[in-house]
Amino acid sequence: MAQTAGNPQAGDPTAVTAGYSVFRVYCTPCHGVHAKGGRGPDLTRGIYHTGEKDSDLFRTISNGIPGTDMSGFSGDIGDDDIWRIVLYIRSVATHNAARIPGERANGEKLFWAKGGCGACHLVQGRGGRMGPELTRIGWQRSLEYLRDAILDPGKDILPGWATITVIKLDGAKVTGVERGYDNFSAQLMDIEGNYYSFLRTEVASIQREDRSLMPAGYGQRLKPAEIDDLLAYLVSLRGTEAAH
Amino acid sequence: MKNPAALFLIVLVSFGATNVSEQQLRDAQADSTTWLTYGKNYAGWRYSELAEINVSTVSRLAPRWIHQTGQNGSHETTPLVFGGMMFVTGPSNQADALDLLTGKQIWHYEKAPPPTGLGLCCGQPNRGFAALGEKLFKVNIEATLVALDARSGTVLWEKQMEDYKKGYSATGAPIVVKNKVVVGMAGAEFGTRGFIDAYDASTGDRVWRFYTVAGKGEPGGDTWDGDSWQRGGGSTWITGTYDPELNLIYWGTGNPGPGMDGSVRGGDNLYTCSLVAIDADTGKRKWHFQFTPHDTHDWDAVADPVLVDLAVNGQKVKAVVQANRNGYFYALDRTNGKLLAAAPYTKMNWSTGIDAHGRPQLVPNMDPSEEGTRVCPGLGGGHNWSATAYSPQTSLFYFGSTEGCQLMYLHKQEYRTGQWYQASTETDIPSEPATGAVLAVDPATGQTRWRFEMVSPASAGMLATAGGLVFTGDGHGYLVALDAQTGKPLWHFQTGGHISAPPITYLLNGKQQIAIAAGTSIITFALMN
Repeated sequence: MAQTAGNPQAGDPTAVTAGYSVFRVYCTPCHGVHAKGGRGPDLTRGIYHTGEKDSDLFRTISNGIPGTDMSGFSGDIGDDDIWRIVLYIRSVATHNAARIPGERANGEKLFWAKGGCGACHLVQGRGGRMGPELTRIGWQRSLEYLRDAILDPGKDILPGWATITVIKLDGAKVTGVERGYDNFSAQLMDIEGNYYSFLRTEVASIQREDRSLMPAGYGQRLKPAEIDDLLAYLVSLRGTEAAH
Repeated sequence: MKNPAALFLIVLVSFGATNVSEQQLRDAQADSTTWLTYGKNYAGWRYSELAEINVSTVSRLAPRWIHQTGQNGSHETTPLVFGGMMFVTGPSNQADALDLLTGKQIWHYEKAPPPTGLGLCCGQPNRGFAALGEKLFKVNIEATLVALDARSGTVLWEKQMEDYKKGYSATGAPIVVKNKVVVGMAGAEFGTRGFIDAYDASTGDRVWRFYTVAGKGEPGGDTWDGDSWQRGGGSTWITGTYDPELNLIYWGTGNPGPGMDGSVRGGDNLYTCSLVAIDADTGKRKWHFQFTPHDTHDWDAVADPVLVDLAVNGQKVKAVVQANRNGYFYALDRTNGKLLAAAPYTKMNWSTGIDAHGRPQLVPNMDPSEEGTRVCPGLGGGHNWSATAYSPQTSLFYFGSTEGCQLMYLHKQEYRTGQWYQASTETDIPSEPATGAVLAVDPATGQTRWRFEMVSPASAGMLATAGGLVFTGDGHGYLVALDAQTGKPLWHFQTGGHISAPPITYLLNGKQQIAIAAGTSIITFALMN
């Protein structure tokens, strides 16, 4: 494979297996046990937006991708093992990404109208601020993860996206999405987009729950074909050129 | 004194020689102006008699200076303090001497780590210096031990402990016992064979080595199937303690290798996941106690072995206590290794209790599996490595804990020299985020007296003081003072960076100071006037 040119581990027949062993340790929490994605992208699609060469993948694993959840691993994993991970990723890439059955254009309409998704989610500068930005979500999540996120929003609450409820000393209640949460304080944003910060010593209680404020029931509100359309739209969101 | 200049002169005191004697190390607990060894004293108490900062005054605690190290990576050092300077090690083979009054850098040590060939599980942290005479001793990540001149930072000697290309590395602080520098290694995830070494402080020549994995034909060698002992792990990456009366060194040992696949190393796998008591002069094993026989969950037993005298049935017993990563607290008789008490301190689903011989009673089918096995505590354990503290004022033992479970996976793996050899790993369970706590435990019984609940796993070490306080940090960057009797938070300060290190305290010009490595900074605190 021409892409592996320059990979110093490429000639070692044991490198893929060895790379998988290291992958299991550092990469599975986001990319899944078999690299099929989760909180991080599905790597078996064989499409890498930071470049196609082994040296591109090496750089991505070493340095991370600024502005994303992909951190750099050069401090934790030796160069030899990073090259082996690259070979493992190559070995599982199928290059026949599952076809998305839906209609992208219809999905986009659903997103902004019937689905109401844009009330809370930002896409290329348009939309709400309460939920996660989706401008690049097609790179960031696997199809299966996105399907789960629509049908069962509480299935995987990412760190920083829990629901926080504060009862103030006068009994008033504030509920919103976590913007910060530690042993002495909590920060949150309510559904109107108002930002709050509280010290534990100055309120009656602060409660954090691993539930999503995203409405449940999209499986009933949208027809299966409409869910597919929405997924086709989300998978197509690959950011702007400037974001690259 | 009417002249303000004369007042100023008072601080221009001499701190005496930059020198630490063997006697000073034995008497370290009595000297509040210094911090001379990893655990404050040989017993590993991390307790100070200083009480200027106490439950009544701690609200006036404020930062004095911040030294930004400029070094990327986890800062886990226990600073040493003597001769008017603070000696701190940083990640990636760096270290500094800082002026105690101002935080200014007096000298800087740096050695580039090998660009390739290192096998590392967890970055390049370093946990501190040891000192004797005018020398400082630290490990470098490529499994060397280096001696520096304390006044200049000049390298006096450097010795290779083992070959880093075979997966050996080093991160822990050494301790000095008599004229020897005693030090451990890291690398059980790379098919290494663990050891504890002693080096002559003057020459750097190795005096003895104790292998934590018993070889074929040696006592305990029959607890390893075939030649599996050759890759048996048993790292020694956290500093041990020393009882001068018994002349015994106590050191915790890490997980067997490969960590998650027990099928290739049948048997109890001595002396991994154990506490070993070693003769300080010869390096010979006096006794051992294995907490987790044939471990498959990566539960190193490296946490501080803290030496305390306990009242058991009305008798004083010389004991050693440890908050083990497997979720149990243990107290052992430190003269012979017999179990005195054991009690769980965190959520646990792999064991139902400890039998009379100290062996855990196992729940079946808790080994890692291809599809993932839910195990509590998780791979990092309840208490991991962060420093613990014992207060003779409260007679309580303090440590941080993670409350949670993980999925543990098995992935069959062939051994290749110098390569990762853990046979898989763990993931968090999204629906079960882990929390944490600081615990105060009665060391005679293991019963928890209080808990300070934390929103995420405890990350930092402990310091107990005669001011009735326990200092610690958290992963969100707070340095925290708790009431040592009740666990009530009395003071906190946002340092701006994750805290793994333990706080220390010492007297400077008559005022009590607190120091901590937080984020990539060293910060000191004292009471505002």
